Amino acid sequence: MLAWCILLVDWAYMQILPETVHLIVGVGEIGLGCYLIYVGSKHWDIKQIIFWCCFSIAAPMLWHGSIAVTDYFGLEMLRAFAARVGLVVVFFTGLGWVIWYTEVRSKWFDQARRVDPDAAELAPSWNPMDPLAPYYGRKSPKLNQSLTGFTGYSIIFLLVCILLSSIDGCTRFYDLPAGGGEQQTVAQVVKVQKIIRKRYVVNPFSAISFDMPEIDDTQLELEEITRHNYKIGMGEGEGAGFASGTSGGKVGFIRLEYSGGDWNQDMGVGGDLNMLIKYFELTQQHVKEKTESVTVSQLGTYDAIRCPPVVYITGQRSISMSNNEIKILQEYINDKHGMIFGDNGGSRHFHNQFVSMMARVMPDVRPVPIPLDDVIHRVPFQIPYLPYVAPHGGKEALGWFKDGRWICYYHPGDIGDAWADGHAGVTAEIWNACYQLGANVINYAHAEHHKWREAQKRKEDEE
Amino acid sequence: MKNRTAICISFAFIMAFGGVADAQRLDEMSLERWGKLREVERYQLNIAERFYKKGESTNANEDWKTAAAEYEKYLTLYERSEAAPYALMKWSLAQVKLRRQNTAIKEGFQSVIDYFPESPEAAASAYYIANTYKSMGRVPDSKKAYQNVLNDFSKHAVAVYAIRDLSQIAADEQDVESQVKLWKRLTFDTTRTKSTRAVCVSASNSLAGHYFRLGDFNQAKSSLQTSYKSNLPYYVYYYCRSPISSLTGNDETRELGVKLSDTVTGFLAESYPAAIAEEKDRDQYKQIAYWIIEVLGNSRRDQKVVDSYKQLIAKIGKDDELLGRLGSFYVSRMLYEQGRSIFRQFENKNEGLASVAGSFRSEKKLAEAVKIYRQLAASDRENEVRWKGEEAAAYREIGMYAEAIAIYRELLKIDAGNTQQWLWSIATAHHNAGQLKEAIGVYRQCENFPENYKQMASCHRSLKEYREALVLYNQIVGGSESQAPWAQLQIGYTYEQMNAKEPAIKAFQSVCKRWPKNSYASAAHAHLQDKYKISVTLGGAKDE
Repeated sequence: MLAWCILLVDWAYMQILPETVHLIVGVGEIGLGCYLIYVGSKHWDIKQIIFWCCFSIAAPMLWHGSIAVTDYFGLEMLRAFAARVGLVVVFFTGLGWVIWYTEVRSKWFDQARRVDPDAAELAPSWNPMDPLAPYYGRKSPKLNQSLTGFTGYSIIFLLVCILLSSIDGCTRFYDLPAGGGEQQTVAQVVKVQKIIRKRYVVNPFSAISFDMPEIDDTQLELEEITRHNYKIGMGEGEGAGFASGTSGGKVGFIRLEYSGGDWNQDMGVGGDLNMLIKYFELTQQHVKEKTESVTVSQLGTYDAIRCPPVVYITGQRSISMSNNEIKILQEYINDKHGMIFGDNGGSRHFHNQFVSMMARVMPDVRPVPIPLDDVIHRVPFQIPYLPYVAPHGGKEALGWFKDGRWICYYHPGDIGDAWADGHAGVTAEIWNACYQLGANVINYAHAEHHKWREAQKRKEDEE
Repeated sequence: MKNRTAICISFAFIMAFGGVADAQRLDEMSLERWGKLREVERYQLNIAERFYKKGESTNANEDWKTAAAEYEKYLTLYERSEAAPYALMKWSLAQVKLRRQNTAIKEGFQSVIDYFPESPEAAASAYYIANTYKSMGRVPDSKKAYQNVLNDFSKHAVAVYAIRDLSQIAADEQDVESQVKLWKRLTFDTTRTKSTRAVCVSASNSLAGHYFRLGDFNQAKSSLQTSYKSNLPYYVYYYCRSPISSLTGNDETRELGVKLSDTVTGFLAESYPAAIAEEKDRDQYKQIAYWIIEVLGNSRRDQKVVDSYKQLIAKIGKDDELLGRLGSFYVSRMLYEQGRSIFRQFENKNEGLASVAGSFRSEKKLAEAVKIYRQLAASDRENEVRWKGEEAAAYREIGMYAEAIAIYRELLKIDAGNTQQWLWSIATAHHNAGQLKEAIGVYRQCENFPENYKQMASCHRSLKEYREALVLYNQIVGGSESQAPWAQLQIGYTYEQMNAKEPAIKAFQSVCKRWPKNSYASAAHAHLQDKYKISVTLGGAKDE
């Protein structure tokens, strides 16, 4: 049980243990949970209490196990479903025990009073298990007791949930991948086909000289393929990456969870994971095995320097953020040099929601259309036009520019849909451009963060 | 020969009418310089200008690209010509339109300054650099560039535009102090020319508004005085109202607001004509009195307003307009009886009664209002249609649709000229009353396609007669180009109500395929993805 608790804490807040450990434990929990239910079901007819005991132990195990397994395999939708169902099952299991215990204790009071109605210690007491407690009143005390029990349990359950979700856990870290490279536009692979010049048969006694220089006598039927072989990244180091990175550092795709909308649109396998894989393919920088999501409060727990350079927000409904969450985002952008990558997942409403959210986060910065010849649209891939799936929020990418960098890039046309399997039916040219644009934004954020990390390091050294 | 004549005529035309524009725009070349061009140069530049102007009207990337290419061609062919800096600047402006602002700055505007520092375009380019930085959100760069404009071209109109833009930046940064400083510079220290007058006037208005908000009448007046010499009282009245209202709306600043309104009314009263014997003077007196009353109203001193009206009546006598204003003031303050007693004093009794009825409607006493309208319809046969229409509208306000419809039907008979108007009123009244079948019947007689079809389809859907609704939507798709995407989307929703999933999907997909650039396509796309998890392409349009 202790080991299980440790794993749970690590999974929820610390992420120190390797994921395979969680998978093994998760599978074990599912197996054990199923076995407990099997054992309990054998006693179904004889003593219900044994079944319910087995079920009560099995339920949280199955809950945690299913979440761990689905999380490992990146099945986001299933994970969210398991999490919700599990929460409901655990709530009702606990409620069942509360009802059972209240019933047993109130029966005891009832029976004791029948046996010896004059016993002084059995006078109506303040014990909440006593149905004759004065605060339950004279009219329907049993009903009042049940209602109080239900309400009390629900409130405690809710408070525990809020408490657990508000615990930030330990400091998280995000390291850049080690390496080096240049911030330059990748030259496209160009096939140069030389035109074979026709040789004219001319009068050898003509006054015009038709002697060609030697260079044109070379073999002209050739194809020249030029490739640009430099590394994408920044600084000096082996392989593509960033000089301020670490050997274990990897580029991740972190999505921001928020309330009010469908933040998990096109998430995980077949969705944004495609972008992460493509990022590796395009830049050769090390990437994480799967995409992640964090709540705003979890974003606040990242280290002051080793924090994610960019977080992705998408959806098509509302974005609801508390003042505290806005403060965390402000801190993330201003103090931790972070960047927001917004993507309109499908409505004009989301566009307005996103712009309003940014107006709260950065009230002194106005959104502007990002030029097509800006670094973010040129490095490492030249994006000559803004590729989009559907112009839900217009046809121009908006940006918030502050302190010499883009602190937010907003794509108005569902770029995430173009990354997903099926590519929303758009042509290969467009979804390829969408991948390149995604890579540009992620790379831009990492390069800017690298520069900032280096500056911070220099500052520390000077001090 | 013909060409030469045409050129001469167009040149004369430009000479005659072009001067005005020359003073207004930075992106145009003076006629004098046009005159210095050789014919071939003028020909090439005109081609480029034509595409540039087309780009301005269509804002299509293709036009901007062509214009840029034509300017580039001009530069390649005639790099030493008089219009070379102009062509380079216009090429840069086309790049800005193509959202290549960095290219425009580095390869265009900056080159104009570097290679043609003496040209008139150098000043404009310096300004455009700053302005382009501003549009890119690069505020520090933009501020620096504006400062360069102020240093290098202080006598040029661009310096004035730079100050205006800097004040806008200060507003974005909520730096009121800098903003006021810049407004002052534009208001008091700038020589106003044809091309800078509008900017200075706007700055003086903003500065006056600022001083009014501080309760400083004298400063506000002197700001306005720089722009409005002849009709100053009107502009004082116009710009003081909102600040007075906000000042008196706040407990802490109420006293200041009241004081300011007293100063303003005192100032306005100074411009009363000395005598009011003549009609013209009387009108002027009345006009100024109305301004004073409105200022008093904005300072939330109702008693003073009433007193002022009474003084005005005593001074120039009663008329319907004046009584109407006073009565409406009472009604706006929910003093209905006082208002009605004023309306009853109208010389034009019918209009007075109409105002009385209007006040009853505001008070939600519909029975009394209807009684008056009936009385008016009986006594004023000439305007019977108007009064009956008002009566019907009063019935509709309280949901007595049957009575309203009966009146509309009567109007249909007596006012044949407006049959469509009354039919529409009957149909919407039936619709509002929930009498959907009757509504459909009347909508069918209306001729305002596609609006009537839209309403009929809506009624059919409410009646769960989906087939009929579909037929109507299809007719809209076929008959109204502008409403077709909307109607096709509604077809999808209607199929959904019929639980016909496949045709619904097909209808939504059809919106996406047929009108991929329309906003309804975006809605259909999102709906398909959200509800059916179907991805459908909208073409993934690219601008190039």
